[in-house]
Amino acid sequence: MSSSLLSAQEKEAAVRRNNPEWHLRGDNRLGFRSRRLPGLAAGILVAILLAAVASTTLLGSVRAGSPDHVPSNVAWTAATVAEASGGNAFRGLLLARRCEHCHGSEGFSPVGSTPNLAGMDKLAIWKQLEDFRDGKRSSPVMVPIAQSLSPRDVADLVAYYAALPIYPDPQDNRVFPEQNAQAGHSPIAFRLVAFGEGSRGIPPCQACHGPVGYKVGAPSLATQNADYVLNQLDAFADGSRANDINQPMRTIAALLSENEREALAAYYGAGLGLQPVGASGIAPKQ
Amino acid sequence: MNWRKAKLIILTVLILCLIPATRYYQIDQPVMRWLQGPNRVNPADLHLAGEFVENNLGTQQDPDGSVTVRLIAQQYLFVPHCVLVPAGVPVHVRITSADAVHTFALLGTQYAVKALPGTITEAELRFADAGDYTASCAEFCGAGHFEMRSELKVVPREQFPALGPGKRGGCATQ
Repeated sequence: MSSSLLSAQEKEAAVRRNNPEWHLRGDNRLGFRSRRLPGLAAGILVAILLAAVASTTLLGSVRAGSPDHVPSNVAWTAATVAEASGGNAFRGLLLARRCEHCHGSEGFSPVGSTPNLAGMDKLAIWKQLEDFRDGKRSSPVMVPIAQSLSPRDVADLVAYYAALPIYPDPQDNRVFPEQNAQAGHSPIAFRLVAFGEGSRGIPPCQACHGPVGYKVGAPSLATQNADYVLNQLDAFADGSRANDINQPMRTIAALLSENEREALAAYYGAGLGLQPVGASGIAPKQ
Repeated sequence: MNWRKAKLIILTVLILCLIPATRYYQIDQPVMRWLQGPNRVNPADLHLAGEFVENNLGTQQDPDGSVTVRLIAQQYLFVPHCVLVPAGVPVHVRITSADAVHTFALLGTQYAVKALPGTITEAELRFADAGDYTASCAEFCGAGHFEMRSELKVVPREQFPALGPGKRGGCATQ
C-alpha cells in the first residue's frame, strides 16, 4: 500500500539505494527510459491489432442477410490469366481425342447445340471449364468431364483449341463446314452486332466478342453454331445460365427480344463475325 | 524475462521490419489497400466477396430513411441496368468500375459520378420529384461507349417498396 504512494522517481531512487551497483547493469545504455519500452511496444502492437479488427468489422458490416451469389470463382488476376494461357498445345492435341466426338476433330462440332471450339479465345474456354468444374454452369455432359481434368489438362486443351484455324488455308486440306454467309445476314442482327442500340442500352456485340473489341473472358463468336448461340442467349435471359462475371450477358440477353436473339444466332451461325476480306474458302452460296 | 533478453528480441524484431521496408515497392499495393480501408476494392474480384457481390447491388434502405445505391460500371453496361430510388430523400451512390474509367451521368441533371477501377466513389444525390432519367456513360471507355446507357427511376416516397433487411431493390421489385 505504501509503495503505491511513491512517485516513479522515488521508486527508482529506492531501487538504486538498495542496489549500489545499479549503474553497472547497463539498463540505460541506449539512453532512453528503457523500463517503459516494453509497455510502449505492447501498446503499439495492441493499437495495430485493434485497427485491423476494426477495419475487418467495418468491411463485414456492410451487408447482412442472404448469402452471396457468386457467379463464377474465376477472377481475372494476372496469375489466373498466366495459368489459363500457359498451356502446351501439343499435349492438348493428345488430350483432345476425348473431346472430338462432340466438338469435332477440327474443333467444328457436327451437332448444332454443341459449341465450335476452333480458334476460340484461350481464356474463354478455360473459364467455362472452371465453371463446369465448380458447378457454376450446369451441363450433365460437361460437368463430369471438367471435373475429371486436372488444371494442367485444362490449360493444355485450351491452348490446343485456341491454335486451331478458323478459316481454310489452301496449304492445308482440313475439312471445314460449309457456311452460308447470306443466310444470317439480317438487318436486325447486323445493326445489333455493329452498332448495338443506344436507346435501350444494348452495346454492340462486336465490342466484346470481336472483331472490333475484346473483353477478357469473352468468347470470339466468329464461327459459332446458331443453335448453341440461341440456347445460350435464352439461358442467359431466363437466368438458367448465370456464370457471367458482373452479369453483362444476363442483362443484355434479357433486353433482347426473342426475334433479335434468333437473328443474332443466325448471324453468328453463318460465320460472318470474323470473316476477313478476301476469305476465299467461304464464298456465299448463290 | 530478463530485460536484456527482451531488449534483444525487440531490437531483432525492429531490424527484421527493415527488410520489408527495403522491399516497399513490392508490398506497397496491399499495404495501401489495407490502410485506405473500405474504399479500396480489387476490380478483378468484385463478384467474389465484399460490397459489390451480385445480391448486394441495387438500392438499400438505410435506417435513417435515406437509401444507398451500389453500382458496378463495366464495359459497356451499368449493373444493375435499372435503378429505383425514392424522391425527396438523400440517395447515397457507391459506384466502382470493373475495368476502365466510366462516369455515371444522369442526362438532364447536373449529376455525374466518376467510376474508377479499384476505388469506390461516393456521392449524394437528391431528387425532388418523381421521374425517369437516362444514365449515360460520360467518359470514353471503349468501342461500346456510346451505347452504354441505363435507367434511373425516381418514384414518390410512398410508392417505394419497403425492403427488408438484406434485401436490395431494383426496377423489378417495384
